[in-house]
Amino acid sequence: MASATDSELGVDATPWTLLRGKASHLREILRPFIRVLRANPLTLIGFILVVIISTTALLVAIVPVISQVVLGHPVLLTPYDPNGISTDYSQAPSLKHLLGTDKLGLDIFSRVLAALPLDLAIGVGIAGFALLLGGGLGLVAGYWDKPRTLGGVISAVILRVTDVFLAFPSLVLALAIAASLGRGTGPSILAVLLTWWPYYVRLTRGEVLAVKHRPYVVAARAAGVSEVRILFRHVLRNLIEPLLVYYTLDIGTVIITFSTISFVGIGVPLDVSEWGTMVEAYEQLLLTHPWTVLAPGAAIFITVLAFSLFGDGLRDILDPRSRRTLVQAVAATTLPGQVAGAAEA
Amino acid sequence: MVEPVLDVQDLSVEYEAGAGTFHALTGVSVRLDPGRVVGIVGETGSGKSTLAHAIPRLLPEPPARIVSGKISFRGVDVLDLPKWKLPLLRGTGIGMIFQEPINSLNPAYRIFDQVAEAVAVRKLRDAGESPTLFPAPEPHDYSKGMVVKSGEALLHPIATKLPGRRRRARREALMQDVLDYLRLVRINDPETILDLYPHELSGGMRQRIMIAMALSAKPSLLIADEPTSALDITIQAQVLTLMKELMEEVQTSILFISHDLGIIAEMADEVGVLYAGHLVEFGPVEEVFANPRHPYTKLLLRSVPAQYKDDGPLPALSGSVPSLANVPPGCPFHPRCPLMRDACKTNPGPLLEPVKGISARTHLSACYYSDEVARKA
Amino acid sequence: MGRNKSDLIVFVGKRLLQLLPVVLGVIVITFFFTHVAVQNPCAVWAGAHATADQVQACILRFGLNRPLTDQFWRYLTTLLSGDWGANPRGGVPVLLSISSAFPATLELVLASLFIMTVIGIPLGVVAANGAGRWADHLVRVFYLSGWATPTYLGAVVLAIAVGPAIGLPTKGDFTTKPPFYGPTHMSVLDALWALDFPAVGDALLHLVLPASALALLNLGIATRMTRTSMLEVLPLDFVKTARMKGLSDFVVLYKHALRNSLISTVTILGITAGVLLSGTVVIETIFQWPGIGAYAYDAITGYNFPGTIAVVIVFAVAVVISNLLSDVLYGILDPRVEWR
Ligand SMILES: Nc1ncnc2c1ncn2[C@@H]1O[C@H](COP(=O)(O)OP(=O)(O)OP(=O)(O)O)[C@@H](O)[C@H]1O
Ligand code: SF4
Ligand SMILES: [Mg+2]
Repeated sequence: MASATDSELGVDATPWTLLRGKASHLREILRPFIRVLRANPLTLIGFILVVIISTTALLVAIVPVISQVVLGHPVLLTPYDPNGISTDYSQAPSLKHLLGTDKLGLDIFSRVLAALPLDLAIGVGIAGFALLLGGGLGLVAGYWDKPRTLGGVISAVILRVTDVFLAFPSLVLALAIAASLGRGTGPSILAVLLTWWPYYVRLTRGEVLAVKHRPYVVAARAAGVSEVRILFRHVLRNLIEPLLVYYTLDIGTVIITFSTISFVGIGVPLDVSEWGTMVEAYEQLLLTHPWTVLAPGAAIFITVLAFSLFGDGLRDILDPRSRRTLVQAVAATTLPGQVAGAAEA
Repeated sequence: MVEPVLDVQDLSVEYEAGAGTFHALTGVSVRLDPGRVVGIVGETGSGKSTLAHAIPRLLPEPPARIVSGKISFRGVDVLDLPKWKLPLLRGTGIGMIFQEPINSLNPAYRIFDQVAEAVAVRKLRDAGESPTLFPAPEPHDYSKGMVVKSGEALLHPIATKLPGRRRRARREALMQDVLDYLRLVRINDPETILDLYPHELSGGMRQRIMIAMALSAKPSLLIADEPTSALDITIQAQVLTLMKELMEEVQTSILFISHDLGIIAEMADEVGVLYAGHLVEFGPVEEVFANPRHPYTKLLLRSVPAQYKDDGPLPALSGSVPSLANVPPGCPFHPRCPLMRDACKTNPGPLLEPVKGISARTHLSACYYSDEVARKA
Repeated sequence: MGRNKSDLIVFVGKRLLQLLPVVLGVIVITFFFTHVAVQNPCAVWAGAHATADQVQACILRFGLNRPLTDQFWRYLTTLLSGDWGANPRGGVPVLLSISSAFPATLELVLASLFIMTVIGIPLGVVAANGAGRWADHLVRVFYLSGWATPTYLGAVVLAIAVGPAIGLPTKGDFTTKPPFYGPTHMSVLDALWALDFPAVGDALLHLVLPASALALLNLGIATRMTRTSMLEVLPLDFVKTARMKGLSDFVVLYKHALRNSLISTVTILGITAGVLLSGTVVIETIFQWPGIGAYAYDAITGYNFPGTIAVVIVFAVAVVISNLLSDVLYGILDPRVEWR
């Protein structure tokens, strides 16, 4: 805390000054955020979009549940029942139906909105699971990799299995799994889940290896700092930033992959509102009723764009050199050799 | 009076960074006559590199911005040149040697290709096959019998990977010059390093190659931005000796930048002292070092052990260099100046003017009380 | 350890050896996933109107009643003997389908790689050169848009709306399949082989839309990578050295700076080969391109187990090999790398 506020606190520590002290502290932390957001309008747009999208998704998902409990009947935030067939067949967008209707009279806007919580939850959830699983495995494989110890064996096994999974183009494996399990939301989630974690193993391991041999970590170890402490203070701390950036960008990728499985016709069933499924279902209407295809397409586009813009900017805020480490991490085990002769000969 | 090679007048440069505006240079004037070596000395962050980069318009804009001033090089107004003409100014006009020999050679190309590129640019211009800013021949010659054979495989420098015959022809056309210049910087068997990559050479070797490359363009002005700071001490001495010998042979005008007073004393004819973006003293090296007329210079000289053992009344330098984001008003040195009066705090920084009490106009100081500096010493 | 040809050969040989366990793992995982998850594939294989006896016969014929490990050993031994099995429905040998479909996919992928490098990399250079200015923002929006557009959406729009509108073909690789079959199984090369120039034109036209659709996503990746690595390289001293030689901006950017940025761009491109291949499944299905992606889709959705496993193996090998290629390219671009 700034010394000025400290002396203020000494004189009269009213709750108000305490609060002011906290606020200025917060401002200190947020300063780089504010600076980058201001300097880069695209990041700001991404940030605002992410907030709007997340809030809307949360409301759409929660309000019916709460109202069920409080009022006894669910209140839908979508203007129409997304599965409610009506007589307004194939209508073009109008004030009544913002994004038009399909051949069954389903309101497209309601369907797109109803799909938002599902798609967003899938993106956040699957990427989150991959982050935890892959991050954990990568940490183990990177940190306890001394040959001829138990840790060494385990990390070798982890790396071999990861290599195998990395060799699959994940969409193809996911398609194979989803097709084998039969069409359904659960199986397609499982399929993406099973194929998504290996990237995080590579990324985390590369970061850990990079941090592990930095001079200050070596020095800490030489000074007798315990391994656990080193792990938490130095290694995990350095992992958070690149992982967070990658995770934010990854949410969009998961949404796209998942909706691709639906689009191909092995994912979410046709009667559930999901963006990929909607594009599949309406595909042939692109020329005659373009809004039916373009609305869910635009929903995916905007959501993924929002997270990409935000993640791109987050990288600048958190760690300007993270692109470098991303590349290094992903490429760490594939690079043919080390860069030699960087130092003076 | 001879026409100067370089005339920088009242140059001010700012960096627009996130936290504020850094006044990296304020009202700096430097004049360089043909064949002379002007040294610029200053502590780290005083704006030396900014000055070096501003002259050939190499500053990254943004964040840098040239606020005011005039740079005239061989009569051409540099700040007036459109962007596309800048390459014509560089190479044959102004050459430059950078601080870090590790980073200043392209890691992806062989030594021959990199030196040959510089030679090729010069040959193209000499032969009139590419436009130049300066139609007149260079004012000095490099002897050594390097006659330009115009029209002979003078290919555009982009083509290093030419197919078979043409590539060989080009290599032969440039080979003699490349070898000559590598020998000029005392590389004894240059043939052996032609096909090596920069990372396969030592730092001293790389810096020699940088020097060869800069000289092979036959520039009228060579800017050396701390060319030896990144080298270890024995190599540093070798490179300095080499540069000193080359100055005799090549007779080019040099702007030599260093934070090391000893090196400046050895290399330069005249010296300018930079403090917080201000040029505070300028004059012949012997004059300035024997008889400093600005308190900062004097204190700086005192802080060098063994070189200046005069126990004058001035105490050693206290305090620290001000942040360039808020340089003090008035004389920028006043918070640390032992001679400071009230007038120093408010009066706008005094311009460089002839030292009082000395008839020669060549010794300039930016101190109101330059005569006192001398008297109290 | 060095940079000789022999070092490179040893390096590639070692990497190819390391490929074997990966491929084995791929086979195991795909085999067990497909066989465990699908309870009774014979219900599909024998046809919708098959009798119980026919289904039973099918089960016996494919040995589906035996323990899974037995089935796996049998599959593995036949695979090693060069027999990749046949589609249980119709009996077309898998190897035949794949070997005739793979070149078409390779052609598609190479074409989109071409589009990516020719457009994506210069865009990245332009953006980095004008960093923070309008050109940069424009390029950023462009590549993020490409990134945010699902491959299938772009493909659907290109195939259904754009293609017909501008008169480009959207189906298959030829208007009418030519009577000859060249040695390469790539439409353009085959047509060239036969010196049938109208067919070459036809094949090229058919290639434009699917290749663009496939390139769309990775165009963003190439641009973004080039932009960021250029931003890293541009402030380095050797770029200033190049400028101070009096070289034009073009030479400085493309010969000196880009050459060094490409090192990291190439790495990323190798890694995204998997993404590109995945994309072919969707693209080839939508554009009816006779490649391995469309075959993969048919095999996966038709419970064609031998076909599915074979396709997954081919994809995995392709991914590993493209990683290897990008490593080799990396080493060629960066003289500081030693093969080991
Ligand atoms: N790219 C930049 N962006 C913002 N500020 C900069 C930039 N480059 C330099 N500066 C500012 O300009 C001031 C002068 O920098 P300069 O590099 O000219 O100093 P110098 O005298 O060469 O120091 P050194 O001896 O360390 O090389 C620095 O204090 C720094 O704050
Ligand atoms: S002008 Fe004043 S403050 Fe500045 S150096 Fe001279 S005496 Fe010191
Ligand atoms: Mg400097």
